Amino acid sequence: MVCPTAKTTRRIIVLILLACWELLPRLGVIPSLFLPPLTLTAAALFSEFSVYWQHLLVTLQEVGAALFFACGGGILCGMLLGSSTRLRRLLLPVVSSAYAIPLVVLYPLFTAWFGIGMQSKVVFASVYGFLPTLLGAAAGIQTIDRSLMMTARSMGASPVQQIRYVLLPATMPTVLSSLRIGGALVIVGVVVSEMLTSTAGIGFLISRYRTMLDSPRVFAAILLVLMLAILFDLLVQFAERRFTGWKKNVPAKTFP
Amino acid sequence: MALFAIPDWVVRSALVVGFLAVWELGSRTGMVDPRLLPAASTVIGTALSLLETAAFRAHLWTTIAQTMAAFIIAVPVGAILGLLIAERPYASEVLKPLVFFVFSIPKSIFLPMFILAFGIGFGQKVAFGVFSAIFIMMMTAFAAVESVKREHLMVARAMGASFIQTLRSVYAPSMAPVLLEAVRLAMIFNFTGILLAEMYASRSGVGNQMGLWGQNFMIDRLLAGILIVSVLAILFNEVVRALETRLEHWR
Repeated sequence: MVCPTAKTTRRIIVLILLACWELLPRLGVIPSLFLPPLTLTAAALFSEFSVYWQHLLVTLQEVGAALFFACGGGILCGMLLGSSTRLRRLLLPVVSSAYAIPLVVLYPLFTAWFGIGMQSKVVFASVYGFLPTLLGAAAGIQTIDRSLMMTARSMGASPVQQIRYVLLPATMPTVLSSLRIGGALVIVGVVVSEMLTSTAGIGFLISRYRTMLDSPRVFAAILLVLMLAILFDLLVQFAERRFTGWKKNVPAKTFP
Repeated sequence: MALFAIPDWVVRSALVVGFLAVWELGSRTGMVDPRLLPAASTVIGTALSLLETAAFRAHLWTTIAQTMAAFIIAVPVGAILGLLIAERPYASEVLKPLVFFVFSIPKSIFLPMFILAFGIGFGQKVAFGVFSAIFIMMMTAFAAVESVKREHLMVARAMGASFIQTLRSVYAPSMAPVLLEAVRLAMIFNFTGILLAEMYASRSGVGNQMGLWGQNFMIDRLLAGILIVSVLAILFNEVVRALETRLEHWR
């Protein structure tokens, strides 16, 4: 038997899954309360778009603020930790132990401290994304080739030139991959905390429609969060291709 | 520098003690509101007395039972599925990107689906725990298969090792540390999933209690609960990590 190429098979599988999503509830194999058909979900998303949009804006603001704290702080601390052998040996075991703590249990504490508005979501999502970003940045910074800096210095580059032409491009892959890890977690953190206790945001909509047993709208909101997560990932991937191209394009051998 | 002569564990313990001291003093001297952050000693006392009450122990037991049930299902099923896929070149070419995609999307937002489908009881918690953990297990099983070196396999076969012998002396030692790491990560994801599901909608379990304490502003109990959960999670993590390093020694 001749197998179709992997890509074709994968597409067929995805199409079959989508068809099942539409047909199984329609045929009554799965109650449509558990899984509303694809078309109903899409219809709910379009007919209620203004409501979703309004709450999406709240979520986006929270995600933006939390991204700033989680990724900014995480990348800075991670680079600091990764570039000093002593600090790394001392603190990395502590950080990776702390990573095992299920951070969701902190959320009730944050609502008690900061109320149920945006503040508690931003704090929770920042904490949620911080440690993995830090670990990613600490691991990445170690892979930077030290001879690059030495070469620049020996060729007489000024400190500003060293940062602009060597350090920034060299740390870019680390920064972007940490941003990718942290960003995904920040989105989850914001939506989960909105689902638990809040008055606005996509997570709030998910919980509200769930208590009303309005499954198509629950699914529409879930779909929206998924699109947000995928869109963010694609954006970072695009930036990765754009800013880290130098790594592949210039093999060391081309220099005389 | 003098700091460099002090052994790591001393500095590390000093950091922990210092953290607790700042917490204790800050709360006792009123620099932070003790209603918002009770002193460290109060919290530890509350944790110990909580562990003595039968009601809390029952909640803790519910959570542990759910976590263990999900763990026992997710780990072997995920590992076997992962190994089966990774072993076949065509299957891995088709399915690996799909598994990777599912792994990268947030699982927590599907929690309402589990409530719609399974209600809010024991089964729903276990199902959500399995769902949270199984994909990391599959992903690491892929990595475990890749960690087996072709040369080792070829040498073993050339020397006439039987299937069982290659399994025992080539596959197992290579894959064990990677799979143990998977077990460790799966537990983190699984425990988080179970606690989230309990906080979201349930009638029992530690997560349910923590949600209630938060709503009722019982910060001392809340911090005590966080302490107990963290100690449990870190203990399990460290035990598996110690096993991992022991099995990795031969490399």
